[in-house]
Amino acid sequence: MDKILPLLESETEKTCYKSLRYCADEELRLPTLSYDETQAFTVVKDKHGETDTTLKTTKPISTIAKTIINDEPLFRYFLDGSRRTYKIDDIEINRRIYPIMAGQIGVACCERKTASQFKCAELENNLVLALPTASSPDFKNSEQFFNSLTNKINQLKRVENASVQFSKILTYSSAVQEDNNKYEQLGIATIQDEMVECEKKIVSYLHKKSLLSQSGYLIKDGSLQYTNSPKSGDYKELTKYRNHYRCVIGVSKLFNPELCKDKSGKSNADKIAQLLLYHRTPVFMYQSERVGNTNFAIWYVRIRDRKHTESPFAGVLKLEKILITDDENENGLDSAEVDLITANIINERNPVCYGKDSRWANHLYPVYLTESFIKSKYLSDIHFLNLF
Amino acid sequence: MKQIGKILATEKVPTTIDEFFFWTDKELILKPFDVVRVTHIKESVTFGVVEEISHLTDNTSFLAGYISSDFGDVSAQAYTQRIGMNYVKAKVVANSRDIYTPVLDGMPVSLADEDDVKKALGLKDIKNPLPCGYIEMYEAPDNITIPVNFNSHFLIGPEGAHLNISGISGLASKTSYAMFLLKAIQDQYLKESQKESVAFVFLNVKGRDLLAIDEDFEAFTKDEQEEYQHSIDTHKMLGITPTPFKNVKYFYPYSKDVYSSTYGKDVKNQMTQGKAEQYKYIFEDDKESLDLLFSNIDDPNQTMESIVNVIATGQGKFADITTWTDLLSEIKEHTTAGNTKDKEITVLSWRKFFRLFRKTIEKTTIFQNSYKKENKETRLQEAIKNIRKNDAFVIDIAKLDEETQGFVFGDVMRAIYDLKLGQIDDREESDIPSKIIIFIDELNKYGSKDVPKNSPILRQLLDITERGRSLGIILFAAEQFKSDIHDRVKGNCATHAYGRTNAIEVSKSDYQFVPLVYKSMLTRLKQGEYILQNPIFRSLLNIKFPKPLYKQFKNG
Repeated sequence: MDKILPLLESETEKTCYKSLRYCADEELRLPTLSYDETQAFTVVKDKHGETDTTLKTTKPISTIAKTIINDEPLFRYFLDGSRRTYKIDDIEINRRIYPIMAGQIGVACCERKTASQFKCAELENNLVLALPTASSPDFKNSEQFFNSLTNKINQLKRVENASVQFSKILTYSSAVQEDNNKYEQLGIATIQDEMVECEKKIVSYLHKKSLLSQSGYLIKDGSLQYTNSPKSGDYKELTKYRNHYRCVIGVSKLFNPELCKDKSGKSNADKIAQLLLYHRTPVFMYQSERVGNTNFAIWYVRIRDRKHTESPFAGVLKLEKILITDDENENGLDSAEVDLITANIINERNPVCYGKDSRWANHLYPVYLTESFIKSKYLSDIHFLNLF
Repeated sequence: MKQIGKILATEKVPTTIDEFFFWTDKELILKPFDVVRVTHIKESVTFGVVEEISHLTDNTSFLAGYISSDFGDVSAQAYTQRIGMNYVKAKVVANSRDIYTPVLDGMPVSLADEDDVKKALGLKDIKNPLPCGYIEMYEAPDNITIPVNFNSHFLIGPEGAHLNISGISGLASKTSYAMFLLKAIQDQYLKESQKESVAFVFLNVKGRDLLAIDEDFEAFTKDEQEEYQHSIDTHKMLGITPTPFKNVKYFYPYSKDVYSSTYGKDVKNQMTQGKAEQYKYIFEDDKESLDLLFSNIDDPNQTMESIVNVIATGQGKFADITTWTDLLSEIKEHTTAGNTKDKEITVLSWRKFFRLFRKTIEKTTIFQNSYKKENKETRLQEAIKNIRKNDAFVIDIAKLDEETQGFVFGDVMRAIYDLKLGQIDDREESDIPSKIIIFIDELNKYGSKDVPKNSPILRQLLDITERGRSLGIILFAAEQFKSDIHDRVKGNCATHAYGRTNAIEVSKSDYQFVPLVYKSMLTRLKQGEYILQNPIFRSLLNIKFPKPLYKQFKNG
């Protein structure tokens, strides 16, 4: 016995159906859009997201961007996470069929030392399995069971020969779902959560090593509002979370324009669509349901001319920053800081990954490189699926 | 060993027995001909020679580059440079354990040290070493300089012989390279008591190139002094005594006023020192060589040859002729209609012969009735038949007209051939140098594809290149365009040196085996740089050599 599935069958005392194995990702891209779609956050009404309260429309940043082009760039680190999920098999537990999901998780932080020196600063590359909670025969010691199963899998000859290691077996709820397909989504979601954990781990590492500073910001691909962020009340965790993200900007390539709201809570999707080149919107203060008692400053900037892009939202980036100090929470971000961050983002617009990624207009090249780096570290699908 | 990259093997571009690819940093400087080492299976090391270097980015198209500059804004700047790397194509030349399976993906590639380079290129433990230059590899601080030696048995026999040097005038320094090699040979044979012995015959075909090869280099300016010192140091590094040629004897075409038939300016002085003589051709002794005067004349019916034959064998009235003047009048006799009983050769042919012969003989002063040794006069045949070990004869033909140049060259070859074939009665076999090396520039004049097939000089050349190796007659020849040279002449050369040439030349079939990058390198080679091909080297070598240490004249 050197494959994983027979081991799973014998350890869980369940039956596997030897069904078709396939890569469960529709497309190999980050599900930013789908997550943002369900994102529920509310505009903090009557509060400005920035100190300049006079800004009602949009603001050109090109002059600042040009002035600072020869200075050291603000952003030094670039973080991206990605996962590739697979449906490996179906397993029968109490006459119900659950999918066995597996995934490759890659999270990397790259550092730009000079314009030509782009190196990996930190990499988390994990292989995981996602099983229904009910697959543990022992209800009470399921954690122990899954840990020991992970060890056993790693001792398999086939796994050893491939020089790989599974880091964890994740579990998804085996509660009854309306449609069988949902279990697959649950499995993928746990893998996604694990990826987010890895991202947080890396941010925490960078913070601990004091690598992030006012002159060395981090761009995190996607939103900063994690699903499993510390909830309100967990002050210790919340403080830690805020501290870690002091010098981090979240840059979302894809966002749901429906959720773009202005200070009064009305949709301002049209204004974003009409945003002029190198202009930014005013900063809005949001509060996320996901992250308790934390305010976010959110604004948009257009980095590509509309006439060159496929849709009015292509070329517009959504920028997020966590408000840390009391002053920030009260009066919003310093407008000068917002301008500087925006100018730096504008200056990151070149080169482009045109021809390589359909989202080229919204991509920042260092982030794209980080994403490419992660993907280059993946095992090939055939290689991975044949471990089972 | 400094690691510089890793092997790349992809679906479309796999590594093979013959070649591999590896990536390096885009700022690492490598050159074609540099040697790299790759860790291979069974603790062996595979060596490769760099052939091509390409730079690659993730740019999918030119358009993406345009877009990356804000849709064509030339002043657009960026914080990040596009990710890029260099990938290098290398040719496998050796493996330390003779394992020639393709090198594996991801294997480390590093620079080689001196010992590695020698192993890789087949330069280690060369028997009968003879310096042929040096190779410089890598950039500082990793740069290494390695002296390169031929196995002399593959340059001057008996395993392989003859050298062909090609390259455009001036920039290639063909003469300098030939003289560097010849100096190395003379030095070696002077230094060591070897079983074999060698002598040299150089033909000076242009200006004063070789008319002071036994005199010291004269450095006047600071640059020249530095150059001279560098050359001395390099000669020493290569194990060659940094001195000009020794035992040199110059032969100038005879004329009453010495300087009207040569570009040399120091002839009289050289004659006083006993190292120069003037050569003459005397009818009675040299009439057999007459055919050489007509080597470039198309003679499909062999009438010229017949006439030469009639004269050389002394048929009819030609038996009594003793001087060139008499010969000319006798030939003139034959040109008058009805004056000849010879039915085989028409009057028209005699007329043609007369015209050509008169033209040559009247233009030059080397055809004389007698010579006097006391007056430092000699016949070339005689001089060559008395050539001694380590002698270097320089025969000046630069100021002669083209026909006479060919005549002298052919005559010299013939004399050497006779000497080596034992046609000379009064010399002991052991006294004759076992190898005689002839150096001639502008080989295209005598051995080109356009030379008439029955040209006696071409026949002589073919004889030497095809049979000279076993006789100990070695030809060092140079020309501008190798593609012009007769296939059998160049095909029999064991060693080829390619100097700088032009793009049209490298597109010819002679260069078909040369990889594309080396071809373009051939058009950019610096003075003092050659690409060498020799049977003992595993691949082509890009070598450098020091400037000659003998006196050179700035204005030719």
